[in-house]
Amino acid sequence: MVTNQPWPGRPADSDLAEPVPAIELRHATKRYGEAVALDDVSMVIQPGEFFCLLGPSGCGKTTTLNLIGGFIPLTSGDLLIEGHTVNDLPPHKRNVNTVFQSYALFPHMTVAENVAFGLRMEKLSKADIAQRTREYLELVGLSGLAGRLPAQMSGGQQQRVALARALAKRPAVLLLDEPLGALDLKLRKQMQTELARIHRQVGTTFVFVTHDQEEALSMATQIAIMSNGTVLQQGSPREVYDRPANRFVADFVGDTNFLAGTVRRDGGQAVFDVGSAVVDVQGDAEAGPATLMIRPEFLALRQGDATDGPRGLTARVVNVAFLGNHTRITVSTAAGEMVVVRPHGTRDSTADTQRELGEEVCVWWRTENAALIRE
Amino acid sequence: MARGTSPLETMPVSRFARQTRWSLIVLTGAMLAFLYLPIAFLILFSFEDAATPGLPITGLTLHWYQVLASDSAIQSALLTSIEVAVVVTIIASIVGTMVAFPLVRRGVRAPGLLRLGFTLPIMIPGFLIGIGLLIFFRQGLHPLIDVQLGLYTVVAGHLVFTIPFVVLIVASRLQGFDRRLEWAAADLGAGPWRTLRHIVLPLIAPAILAGALLCVTLSIDEFVITFFLIGPQQTLPLYIYTQIKFGVTPEVNAIATVILLVSLLAVTLGSILLTSSRRLRRRRAE
Repeated sequence: MVTNQPWPGRPADSDLAEPVPAIELRHATKRYGEAVALDDVSMVIQPGEFFCLLGPSGCGKTTTLNLIGGFIPLTSGDLLIEGHTVNDLPPHKRNVNTVFQSYALFPHMTVAENVAFGLRMEKLSKADIAQRTREYLELVGLSGLAGRLPAQMSGGQQQRVALARALAKRPAVLLLDEPLGALDLKLRKQMQTELARIHRQVGTTFVFVTHDQEEALSMATQIAIMSNGTVLQQGSPREVYDRPANRFVADFVGDTNFLAGTVRRDGGQAVFDVGSAVVDVQGDAEAGPATLMIRPEFLALRQGDATDGPRGLTARVVNVAFLGNHTRITVSTAAGEMVVVRPHGTRDSTADTQRELGEEVCVWWRTENAALIRE
Repeated sequence: MARGTSPLETMPVSRFARQTRWSLIVLTGAMLAFLYLPIAFLILFSFEDAATPGLPITGLTLHWYQVLASDSAIQSALLTSIEVAVVVTIIASIVGTMVAFPLVRRGVRAPGLLRLGFTLPIMIPGFLIGIGLLIFFRQGLHPLIDVQLGLYTVVAGHLVFTIPFVVLIVASRLQGFDRRLEWAAADLGAGPWRTLRHIVLPLIAPAILAGALLCVTLSIDEFVITFFLIGPQQTLPLYIYTQIKFGVTPEVNAIATVILLVSLLAVTLGSILLTSSRRLRRRRAE
């Protein structure tokens, strides 16, 4: 069985006052002629992290991965792997391994030969190679298929072979380039759980590229959200979801309602003007134009007008979509449409879900669940 | 016809569609007969009893194959042909494969022009290559070295038109090569040489082998260029040509049958290798 003991050559964390980052980018820039794929990005990835590079296509996330893998050279800046600058080191000399989007399995080799290839290149003994190949095929649950050719396997199985092949090298960092992109939804969910398990079991740093925010939120311990070659925000999934740094992050990660308006000081209290309505915001907010962001699940509906109880907005129900485990209610307010998500199975939400189309309601939220975003 | 169940194929286009289809089948049969009947006669006459072959067949015999087996002149000609073919195949396969890489992988400035340059000799008539090389060896090189015509010059002549075939076949295989595999190999710790040896060469080997088999066939068959460039030796086609002048004996039919079978075998083997590798590639793409 694979355990998460540090292998020789990797210093144990306790030996050092501060752990050496697994990956560090310092002002990394990649240009293709005029086009900038990566624009002065600095980033630190700590060892053991399940680090997710999240962003729309063309945001520079795959470029970042290819830079770390050594497949494309940096235009300027520095790249450090475990504290060593590796700018000019070719891929075959770097202590990182990649699971490619297309898997890139060697079609003329069996599953076992694919996994053993990297070990053969390390010139390990025959017995070691056989033993480690077995070990990692077992880790990904493919022990019985060692003699198959990649062409005889399903996409999900090929994915596992690619994973075993990369992990068998026991790299400092495992790079995964949208590895679940080609799988169908059910298999993707299953592999997400599987990847998280394997990450816990081997303890290697994972750097994972995806455009799927749900995938990132469910697996990552750290997320970096990228757009146009820059990192917009880096943090834990909860940080990124609850306190997005800007409108792009809020919009890209999860569903969000935006209200454009102005923060005003009203006595000692900060209030937020949305059109003709006024809602409360957290006390320390500075005056000036801003956008208020509230996640659909923090919105609640109540009968009656907006001045009765906590301040909210007067709204009219325009659509009710029952989605099994939750109901999605779209309401129209003076400040635009808002989406309210009410889960099933909680006592306080059941009353909300029985809404009639065209009914007049008040949409409200707790002040601490709304975040102010300044552009 | 049995498989023509798709509505696209059975759509009634013309009132005479049925008749048209039948006449096309007859035409196709006639053309196939035109292509293969002469060869069928060649094979048939190699078993003919009489010394002057003709219809009707007087009787079947293996006599001419026995004559062939004891004819040292024809055997030495065959040996010469094989010698030339082997040398040509080895050189053409290596050089052609090496040329294919920069053509496909943009290692050169004008790949299109260079590709044309490397494949044009296929379209140059053999006798032009023959005369050109003859003049080049006898007059062009004469001030520097005195080139004697012989098997070396024949090998050179054969290389001129076999290398382009290897280049074409290997280049088309390389074109479809997933370069991510090379990234993967490098990622797993293989340097450029080991990537070439363990990943690239095994995967393009079917194409190289197919090219090599084609070289063997082309070289053994070659007559025109050889005719211009050969010295005192004789290759098999040349020997047969000189023999035919004294009348066709069934022995020539026998040797022709043998060559035909060997050539067919080589070409079939080559195409099987190519399609099986293509199937492998397709399966991978799915």
